[in-house]
Amino acid sequence: MTAPTMKTYHNSLKTALDDDFLRQTLDKFAVQYRANRQLIFADVNEKELIAEIADAKDASLDQLDQLYERFKIEAEKKGVVVHRAATAKDACDLVCQLAKENNVQTVIKSKSMTAEEIHLNHSLEEAGLKVTETDLGEWIIQLRHEGPSHMVMPAIHLSRHQVADVFAETTQRDQDSDISKLVKVARQELRAKFAGADMGVSGANFAVAQNGSIAICTNEGNGRLTTTLPRVHVAICGIDKLVPTIHDALRVIKVLPRNATAQAITTYVSWITGAVERQEDGQSAQKRFHVIFLDNGRSQLIQDAKCRQALRCVRCGACANVCPVYRLVGGHRMGYVYIGAIGLILTYFFHGHERAKLLAHNCVGCEACKDVCAAGIDLPAIIQEIRARLTEEFGSSMDVALLGKVLANRGLFHTLLKFAKWAQAPVKKGRYIRHLPEIFSLGQGFRALPAIANESFRDIWPALKPPFVPGAKKIGLFAGCAQDFIFPGHLRAAVTILAKLGVNVEFPLTQSCCGLPVQMMGQRAAAIATAKGNVLAFKSLDVDYVVTLCASCASHIKHRYADLLAGENMSADVKAFGDKIIDFSSLLTDVLKVKPETFVNNHEKVGYHYPCHLVRGMGVVEAPKTLLKAAGDYQPAAEEDVCCGFGGTYSIKFPEVSGTLLANKLNNLQATGATTVVTDCPGCFMQLDGGEAIRGGKLKVEHMAEFLARHLAK
Amino acid sequence: MSAINQAAVELFAAKAKPVSILVSEADSLERALDLAVSVCEKKPLAHLLLPDAAPDSARKKTLAAPGLDETSWNYLAEAGAKKGFEMIRGGLRNYLAGVDVTISVADLGVADTATCVLECPKEDDRLATMICETHVIALAKSKIVANSYEAESFLERALAKERNYTAFISGASRTADIERVLTLGVHGPLELHLVMIEA
Ligand code: SF4
Ligand code: SF4
Repeated sequence: MTAPTMKTYHNSLKTALDDDFLRQTLDKFAVQYRANRQLIFADVNEKELIAEIADAKDASLDQLDQLYERFKIEAEKKGVVVHRAATAKDACDLVCQLAKENNVQTVIKSKSMTAEEIHLNHSLEEAGLKVTETDLGEWIIQLRHEGPSHMVMPAIHLSRHQVADVFAETTQRDQDSDISKLVKVARQELRAKFAGADMGVSGANFAVAQNGSIAICTNEGNGRLTTTLPRVHVAICGIDKLVPTIHDALRVIKVLPRNATAQAITTYVSWITGAVERQEDGQSAQKRFHVIFLDNGRSQLIQDAKCRQALRCVRCGACANVCPVYRLVGGHRMGYVYIGAIGLILTYFFHGHERAKLLAHNCVGCEACKDVCAAGIDLPAIIQEIRARLTEEFGSSMDVALLGKVLANRGLFHTLLKFAKWAQAPVKKGRYIRHLPEIFSLGQGFRALPAIANESFRDIWPALKPPFVPGAKKIGLFAGCAQDFIFPGHLRAAVTILAKLGVNVEFPLTQSCCGLPVQMMGQRAAAIATAKGNVLAFKSLDVDYVVTLCASCASHIKHRYADLLAGENMSADVKAFGDKIIDFSSLLTDVLKVKPETFVNNHEKVGYHYPCHLVRGMGVVEAPKTLLKAAGDYQPAAEEDVCCGFGGTYSIKFPEVSGTLLANKLNNLQATGATTVVTDCPGCFMQLDGGEAIRGGKLKVEHMAEFLARHLAK
Repeated sequence: MSAINQAAVELFAAKAKPVSILVSEADSLERALDLAVSVCEKKPLAHLLLPDAAPDSARKKTLAAPGLDETSWNYLAEAGAKKGFEMIRGGLRNYLAGVDVTISVADLGVADTATCVLECPKEDDRLATMICETHVIALAKSKIVANSYEAESFLERALAKERNYTAFISGASRTADIERVLTLGVHGPLELHLVMIEA
């Protein structure tokens, strides 16, 4: 299979979005998964366990060679043969060779993502072997000649009817589409395959160095039969599956099944030690047992400080389960062999940069994956890093590179924005741009785009600055480009409230864009230049806090600046700046401790949309609700914290996905009966307001600051 | 013999329910064996999975127990024979088409995940517990620990052996691979009975 082009990729996204069955299945799954996951984690300390797993995995990665040596010594004492394969091809060749040496004709497999990674079936079949997958989902997709669309549920994209069809073809008999009957067909058909197989190929969830044992987690029990019935057992796993002790494995088992399928544990966990006993012609004999550790770029990835976290992955699949993009387009478009956030990453490292080129951009950056990852991997950060590398390697389209250059130069950027204000005049229609130049507007019809404001916030600031209050708190205001130039009204409202609360406000004019947009596009140099300018702009101001009305700016400054500016010799300033950053809602509730009396509550029905970068990026949950309850009649909406589809340039690149996420969001908000919708980020505001304008809806969209300013007591 | 951790026993029973383990209690291993016999008696004749299987009319029900000690086996064999079952103690490879019931004795129980731990170093132990339609596991209450970390020292010993195959079993074989609908009994047992023994 060749790597998709931009055109074929968009076509396949479109096909997925039009697939009603897929959409319904993944929607239902996304909603049920979230609820079930919460329940199953109720009796363990999720965050603590995940942090422990992350630490333990990092420690193991530092000593993989020693773990491998230990495993090999222990396992070989017990009659196991242990191999290490440097490349996918080496691993495939090795399995084929073992098959030949042992006179193998038929192979059965239990599910192994590592075997998928190296396309083992293909090699075995080329060598003339008959291969049968025995995991139900894997068997179904094998019969359909497809790849998995999810790491844990490989056939989740198929309906019972499609399964019945392929079973009918295989068995040459009509098949009922009743699911329990279909499962029985697999039980019957595969038992004969188990009974006749010469070699069983399994994966391994853990390779325990301490005693040279492997452990395999399955629900169906096919893993136990695969490792028991054939004469030869070959287990194949990445070297990252090595753990020092049983305790390490037990710890991961507390999270892996909970995260994968919301089970406390998989039905079976099989711990295999040594070449176990088997019956051969009624005699007791020994099994031939080989363990193959696959490198395939892993050793190199360990050396890669920015991305090595990816090797902590325990393959639970949760990063796909919660991903709003996965939910819309399914696994075949959200990965290659590995699926979901980790799929975007591992495709780059294991299957080539060319194949990852488009995939790496299909992430809206909502951080939902990071929030649930069993191994605490900062997946969106790695995805951004990969984008930057891909841009360095393949270059970027002209307009993107130009934007990067412009943003890196604050003076030029601000001048250009002022110019753009005049340039857009003929296309402007009220608050929105009437139509975009052809090249920009492809597929952009799903929401109106806002026009650049006549007066930027920096223009009106001198007139707005509240009088100095001696002894009062001093708050710095970080505007970010969207609110400075497009929505200055948000900032104006915030200043009105802060003045009313009697605090001092500072707005240094040398600040610029936070740099996230260029970072998302993979323009690293521009991201560093803007970040540096902002740290310096606030350095000498001596403010107590720096408030920003943009959740994305807040989260970017707080979490990414340290890394971006690591080479700039200014870490103390960067830390001081990051520590002072606070979002508007938290500033009001936690620092300024506003009272309900600050507002007039006329019981306006108001819904809320959680910006991804606020709820996950900044961990803010209660503050916005507290404020809305004080100033209005708060109406909780379904999936309040699911992404609206904006994601900065994401919405420009993948309008079909962005538009669908937006439609879901607006439908959920509308269903609450609210008349007003509030959010805490100009990006989300732009998306929601523009979407509502296009569909002619009645929801009034406001930034939190605007809503509160409108309800400020006199 | 260690003391019974009553809280762990109760936790085990509570956690067994949502994963469809059918839990009962018995005073002794013999009573558990009686129970296995009666489960076998009540269930329909096993559906055989290999093409050249004998017709139903020519078959007896099958009850396998390769892991039992001599005394228990003798007791069970007699009870099963009385009911006309074919009793299997070894050679499980000859029964890959399926057996009706297997009874095994667990080496440990882990309460918080409703897990039975069975050491299966012999192929017959592994096969018997997979190819039966109904698996009955007897577990002494005194062998139930609260959570997997408490099972660690047991596992250390089990995995230190030269050859071993230690199985964690927490329910009947299951899948949700078709439309995410949970279905019991895919490659392994359709049903799992747990008999907690007062010991
Ligand atoms: S950040 Fe959001 S969109 Fe990107 S991979 Fe993670 S869950 Fe998916
Ligand atoms: S990256 Fe994290 S969430 Fe995704 S499969 Fe790996 S461990 Fe699970």
